[in-house]
Amino acid sequence: MIPALALVAGVALGLVFEPVVPLWLQPYLPIAVVAALDAMFGGIRARLDGIFDAKVFVVSFVSNVLVAALIVFLGDKLGVGAQLSTGVVVVLGIRIFGNAAAIRRHLFRA
Amino acid sequence: MIRGKGEHAEGAPDPIVRRALELRGDEHTSHRPRIGNMSTSLLVELFTDHLDKGYAAAARRRKDESPKGRRRATAILAVGLLLLGFVLAAAYRATLRQAPDSERARQALVQDVQSGSALSDALQRRAQQLSGQLSRERDSALTESRAGDRTAADVRRLEAAAAQRAVHGPGIAVVVGDASGTEQVDPNTGQRVPVPADDTGRIQDRDLQSLVNALWAAGAEAVSVGGQRLAPTTTIRAAGEAILVDLRPVQSPYTLAAVGDPATLLPRFADSDAARRFQSYTGLYGIQFTVRAAKDLRLPAATDPDLRYASPVAAPTTVSGSTPGSAPAPRPSGGGR
Repeated sequence: MIPALALVAGVALGLVFEPVVPLWLQPYLPIAVVAALDAMFGGIRARLDGIFDAKVFVVSFVSNVLVAALIVFLGDKLGVGAQLSTGVVVVLGIRIFGNAAAIRRHLFRA
Repeated sequence: MIRGKGEHAEGAPDPIVRRALELRGDEHTSHRPRIGNMSTSLLVELFTDHLDKGYAAAARRRKDESPKGRRRATAILAVGLLLLGFVLAAAYRATLRQAPDSERARQALVQDVQSGSALSDALQRRAQQLSGQLSRERDSALTESRAGDRTAADVRRLEAAAAQRAVHGPGIAVVVGDASGTEQVDPNTGQRVPVPADDTGRIQDRDLQSLVNALWAAGAEAVSVGGQRLAPTTTIRAAGEAILVDLRPVQSPYTLAAVGDPATLLPRFADSDAARRFQSYTGLYGIQFTVRAAKDLRLPAATDPDLRYASPVAAPTTVSGSTPGSAPAPRPSGGGR
């Protein structure tokens, strides 16, 4: 209950405060979103598998966002930023779809 | 499942894999064969293990289900979800704000261009009005004496030569246009985008120049390009990819209107080198080129030339006597052709 309220509060804060994303941070925002979605789906699946752990969830979320941003940052410096972003999105996208499929199997038994 | 794959690899006919297994010494490997540092499991893992390994590890490790531990877990989860929601909302906001920004900038630019060209059009109309009024005033002032009549005829002749009067009459209209580009499906967006034809199919400023010269040579009395009347000092030139006639841009397809007797103008123009060349270009490069006779063409006056030598009379009190004699002499008209 409290975590759900926290999620709603986070969304509300983001919507109300309209945080101005600095220009240098903007290339990493899409990657951060994909990493966040990955962590979210992973968490839901773990919950359904009965092995959910709050610490793992938070740490994986934060580290996913940071590592994804770091990879893209390095790529930008080395001139392969766009390719690495694509790579990150593909890998995380595969994981998201896999976890979504597992969630679907849990929920609908199909 | 993993072992199944390993056994499959063991029976694989690939000599490199067999050799690698021999080198390892244990053929009943519990994992996929490793060749050097390369693990064939990387891609398989990517497609099969979607869940973070940490969850399983934590589940194995977790023994204490004390209320204190659970409360701490809830707090951590709450903070994590707060962050997650914040990131998602911030990204949503940023995207939402960005899109209208570019759209608004574009709209503002379009509006600027539109109001600018509207203002320019209005000024042009006003200038035409004023020059019409001016010539009317001058004509009425000149009709008072015989010398004035002669001067007025001179002025009219010079004005016609300098394209300072709107004219209308029969003539021919030549339409010439760039080769039409093909359409292609953009691989990124899936939208159909027009692909401009390569430069060989694009009309250049010198093409229009040669056509205009052919029209003059065929006996045209007045010529306009894209609605811009050509005066003796008018230039047709390129600026980037646009063609400017008298510093105003014209766009493909270009309509060249020439006033003159169509009975002589049409055959003479059609027989000219330029026309024949363009006729062959239609087949070669796919450009557009048509010539037709027109009953009544209306050509506007050219924009006023910058007077380089004439200057306004200081005190316009004695209009009738002195100005008619002195005005035509310093006119810089008649130049070019």
